[in-house]
Amino acid sequence: MAEEKKRPRKRRTATVAASNIAPMVKESITGTLKAAEEGKKLAYSFICCSYDEILMAMDIVPVWTENYAGICGAKRDAERFLERAQSLGFSRSLCTYALCGIGFDQWREELKEMPPEAPWGGQVRPDFMLSSGQILCDPRNKWYQAVQEFMPDVPIFNVDLPYPLYEDDIEVSDVQDYYIRHITDELRGLIRFLEEQTGKKIDYDRLRELVDLGERTWNLIWETYELRRAVPTPMGTGDAMNTMVPMVFMLGTQEAYDFFMSLNAELKEKISKKEGVVKDEKYRLLWGGGLPAWFALKDFNYFNSKGAVFPAETTYRMIEPIYKLNMPDTDDPVERLAWRWLGYWTYWYDKAKKRPGSHPDVERLIQYIEDYRIDGIVMHEAFSCRTWHLSLIWQVNQLQKIYKPVPVLVLGGDGKEKEMQREIPALILESDIIDISSYSEVETRSRIDAFIETLEGVKGRQA
Amino acid sequence: MELKEYYAGVDIGSTMTKVVIMNRGIASAIIGPTGAEQRRLADQVMKKALKEAGVSFDSLIYIVATGYGRINVPFADRQITEISCHAKGVSYFFPESEMCIDIGGQDSKGIRIRDGKPVDFVMNDKCAAGTGRFLEITADALGIKVGEMGEIALASKSSVQISNLCTIFAEQEVVERLADGVALNDLVAGILESLAGRVSNMVKRLSVPKEIVVTGGVAKNAAIVDMLSRRLGCKAGVPPEPLITGAVGAAMIGKEIVEKAKKTGVKPEKKRRRLDKVKIF
Repeated sequence: MAEEKKRPRKRRTATVAASNIAPMVKESITGTLKAAEEGKKLAYSFICCSYDEILMAMDIVPVWTENYAGICGAKRDAERFLERAQSLGFSRSLCTYALCGIGFDQWREELKEMPPEAPWGGQVRPDFMLSSGQILCDPRNKWYQAVQEFMPDVPIFNVDLPYPLYEDDIEVSDVQDYYIRHITDELRGLIRFLEEQTGKKIDYDRLRELVDLGERTWNLIWETYELRRAVPTPMGTGDAMNTMVPMVFMLGTQEAYDFFMSLNAELKEKISKKEGVVKDEKYRLLWGGGLPAWFALKDFNYFNSKGAVFPAETTYRMIEPIYKLNMPDTDDPVERLAWRWLGYWTYWYDKAKKRPGSHPDVERLIQYIEDYRIDGIVMHEAFSCRTWHLSLIWQVNQLQKIYKPVPVLVLGGDGKEKEMQREIPALILESDIIDISSYSEVETRSRIDAFIETLEGVKGRQA
Repeated sequence: MELKEYYAGVDIGSTMTKVVIMNRGIASAIIGPTGAEQRRLADQVMKKALKEAGVSFDSLIYIVATGYGRINVPFADRQITEISCHAKGVSYFFPESEMCIDIGGQDSKGIRIRDGKPVDFVMNDKCAAGTGRFLEITADALGIKVGEMGEIALASKSSVQISNLCTIFAEQEVVERLADGVALNDLVAGILESLAGRVSNMVKRLSVPKEIVVTGGVAKNAAIVDMLSRRLGCKAGVPPEPLITGAVGAAMIGKEIVEKAKKTGVKPEKKRRRLDKVKIF
């Protein structure tokens, strides 16, 4: 008898909006399959590359390859694709999103159809691939080059999206014009490539409308997430790992805007009713970075079961309000995309300069610690994501050097204010984004237990 | 006057089960045998500890279980992690201590402590190379006892570098080095340096104070304690019996729970206890 595959039970979410995401993602995946049948142009794409609105303006359907790998991970069905990539000679220590995608694509190309029981119908074959020379992540260049070996007829266009690395003696304003020119040129180059591939010209008026909508959505997301400052917080990072979908996969669509309008209303209602993620909120934690282990999102529920909530996260929050990004007035939608890109990445630079030993990433942690009244930080060090995760430990070390303990004024039993030292303990979880072999539930939860006890001790002293 | 209030701490680690019964001080402390099957028999260790302390099971006011086998102890009132228990246990032996490094059979951890409670910690439970298991495996490969390693290493004049990060490959490497004619003292010193290096790099995140306490089975190895002290630039103390630190802390936390309950009038969390075998997961 064939062994029946165990399906993970659905994770509990705090908001209705977050619980509606899974069908949206499924629809988006099946939508790409349908689009292929209808003859629409499909592009392998990476999230956060500032080209979302450009693709939409040209009726190109993005196929978010990181998303599909994440889905395989969340469904605990990535192993067979990882193993296939490994059998092709790719090291298991490479980005497991990329490995999963490479394994899947090679299998699909070999079969000339989707691999058996491919999650949600499978990842469709693209017409072209849009890689991105971001400083952020090297697989964004290499992944598509690797799969081109199995799909030599599918062209790649690389969009170079740099931002100036932080130096405390360099002013962004001194170099930003060069960066804007370069990024704008890159995006215009992308448009030319897409025009060649589709055989039609972009409609700039439509692009302008979409960028407008994208920016309105961008601000709405920020306003909505700021509602999570409330005590008790109405939404945690567990839910944000769902609500990131319309943020990073659907920016510039009316659907994304409507989604966040609805989430905004839901959070306001919860706040008015003092309805939190948990009944008795004891500890407010910051998810200080790292992609989550997609197969273990229930760990967020485990934190909740201990009275711990996550009102904020640095992961998938590529949003600060547009009006704070020092964007000049320009009617050119391509330039606006470039300014949005640069503005976001350099947003914390000036703040970091004002605090000796700080760094933009650390400054961002500090901002959230203060804004969201954070008691502790949790990070996830995913072994296969070198670019991002290696710096997390450094960020915590640096934070603790320059910011710990935090002096706070507390009202004592005698009614007088006295200065206390507020500690910000940190917990580093270790596993991977989709490689489940790196994960141990027992060990992870034992660490969480110890962390909660630590927070209890720290808070107990402050009481 | 003899106090009649007894508390027990049970620390079920990967290689040893430790039971401590306390009243004003340590009434008895028993370290049980190693191995998965014996771990299930933690109740036997408890019975020995009760016998040595001369008290009955029912007279124990509160029992706290800790260690990675803490979850299914049928005779414990509460489970507390090793992090909190070690912090408390260290403060029993060294009241002023602000940091503990615990190197056990299966994991290693650094704990920053204030007032007997953890304020931050780091932990390695992913890789055997930073734990006592690394010593067990390499000692076995060299045909020596783990307990002899410290003394052997102290006679070394020039330790060799063990380049493999993985315990299994390191095992192979030490055998090859031995075959190459490297002196046993230097080889063992290299093994211990490798472990000390891994652990000290891990705990540096916690901003190491001037004095630390080393606990766990590996703390019995004077050479490693010395290496940690040198690498971290601090003094290192070791409790009289470093293996029981967690169990002592567990018993003390049990006492605190009961005392707090007396003050607040709220009954402490208690379970229906059975002095029975431990279920391992």
